[in-house]
Amino acid sequence: MPKSIIRGYYEDLEQKKVIGKKCNQCGKITFPPTAICEHCGSREIETFELTGEGELLFVSHSMAPPPNPRFNKLAPYAYGHVKLKEGVFVQGIVTGVGIDPASLEEWYHKCPVKVVPDIIDAEGLSILAFKIIESQ
Amino acid sequence: MKNKLKEPVYILGVGCTRFGNLLETPEIKGLTLQEMAAEAVKEALDDSGTDPSEIDAIFVGNVTMHTSTLPATYSQIAKWTGMQFKAGVHFDGACSTTNIGITLGAMGIASGVYRKVLVVGLESTLSQPKKLSPFDRETIPTEEMWLWTDYCVNQAYSVPQGYDIFPSYNGIIAQAYCKKYGISIEEFEKGMFELCRTRRLHGSMNKRAINQETLEDEAKRFGFDDPYAFWKSNYNPFLAWPSRLRSAVSAADGASAIVISSEDGIQDAPNLPIEVKGWGVTISDLPWYEEDPTYMHYDTLSFDKAYDMSGITAADIDYLHVHDCSHISSICTAELSGYLPKGEGLKYAEAGRLRFDGDRPMSTHGGRHAFGHAWAASAGADTYEAVKQMRGICGERQIPNVPKISVVHTHGYAMVSTVMVYGRR
Repeated sequence: MPKSIIRGYYEDLEQKKVIGKKCNQCGKITFPPTAICEHCGSREIETFELTGEGELLFVSHSMAPPPNPRFNKLAPYAYGHVKLKEGVFVQGIVTGVGIDPASLEEWYHKCPVKVVPDIIDAEGLSILAFKIIESQ
Repeated sequence: MKNKLKEPVYILGVGCTRFGNLLETPEIKGLTLQEMAAEAVKEALDDSGTDPSEIDAIFVGNVTMHTSTLPATYSQIAKWTGMQFKAGVHFDGACSTTNIGITLGAMGIASGVYRKVLVVGLESTLSQPKKLSPFDRETIPTEEMWLWTDYCVNQAYSVPQGYDIFPSYNGIIAQAYCKKYGISIEEFEKGMFELCRTRRLHGSMNKRAINQETLEDEAKRFGFDDPYAFWKSNYNPFLAWPSRLRSAVSAADGASAIVISSEDGIQDAPNLPIEVKGWGVTISDLPWYEEDPTYMHYDTLSFDKAYDMSGITAADIDYLHVHDCSHISSICTAELSGYLPKGEGLKYAEAGRLRFDGDRPMSTHGGRHAFGHAWAASAGADTYEAVKQMRGICGERQIPNVPKISVVHTHGYAMVSTVMVYGRR
């Protein structure tokens, strides 16, 4: 029975693992994982575990009520643009950040700041969020 | 990629309904999507002097099937537009749909298969059929419309993990723009206010716009003598800090239609044909940007392709519309296109240079905020405005130096970056 790559990604997150693919041809990372190297189209790809750590470059906030009912209990939330240590860019919920203009302006001036993964539950699905580990 | 048209292709006629709300807006109130499409097509056929029997193929675009409930749109629209027994297809390029349709039709014509093609876009973003009624409709909540629209975005990973268009396409880009060019948040606010003021001025001069009230008049209606105080009030909240509500899209219902033709089909045209000189189309999934959120690489590729196919440079552009669901993103795109200098877009807005009577006119129909946005119909509405400007018949919002070259850019969600180059003969 074939295993769904998408299902595998979320099951790995549940185990606190952040998994992508690395290409044996061009060496680049496809994250989150797909069936092919998104950079060169090679199928010579292998499972690759990322740290999930990186830098938060910018953080703004979501709308409320949220379009997706999965986030009814979480929204509105801070949502940021992150550069992972491995050079991959990803956007996600940033926990622990207020969404009032004063807080966001404060983080606007402080960014970039370091973040680590914060795997949170969204209606039964483990998802990749981030939390800031330093304020300066 | 050869990136050349074998034969010239022309826009012969255009049609567009009033953009508004099928439940409220007088010109379209009570109509169905079939009837809106028929109205836009009638105008395009009349404008082009084309009898339905002359059309060889019909390309019909619609994005949100949940609100149209018309998945096989080609046949469902054919009887309403005189297109029975033509070649036809339903297609979807999200918010680039109608202009993608022009590229498909143009390729059909330039290859020698078709002589005349009809492109149609129709959309309702504000209501859906009430129960199973064929004519009654009911309002849908904004968040439900976005849930369905976000089906266009990465459903494997981004949407289930909290993706939201407003920070991704507004707030984060705005912050990056300010940092990149050393613009304070207060300067950003002023620039966005002025940009909105320009778009709303254009909308106030366009009887087909969803919002025909100037920002100044709206401020007065809310009790503000100073429109900038209104801008910064709670009536204009942050959608995604530091971007506010009135720097973003106004969802609408509407339809647009375009008749395109080979050169031998334009001889008896009652109105000036406009040449489709070239285009560029590039797709990308998220992330839309990397280190620099003000730079979307696929837009560079689309503009490069379009300039190459049409043989123009940015210096040749007389009129520009770029996708402006997010006003700050539109400034980034206009700068990327070469029409505005890097980091100067908001200053140009403040100086009035982006107005219809400025030296860098943009989005003279009012753009996505004032004209409104009916997903599959909007790119056609942008083309409609470009054609009318190039014919010199836009009335009080007419660009004084009638444009010879117009460029229309759209971001189909998410993303189909589409750049069209139109030329006056």
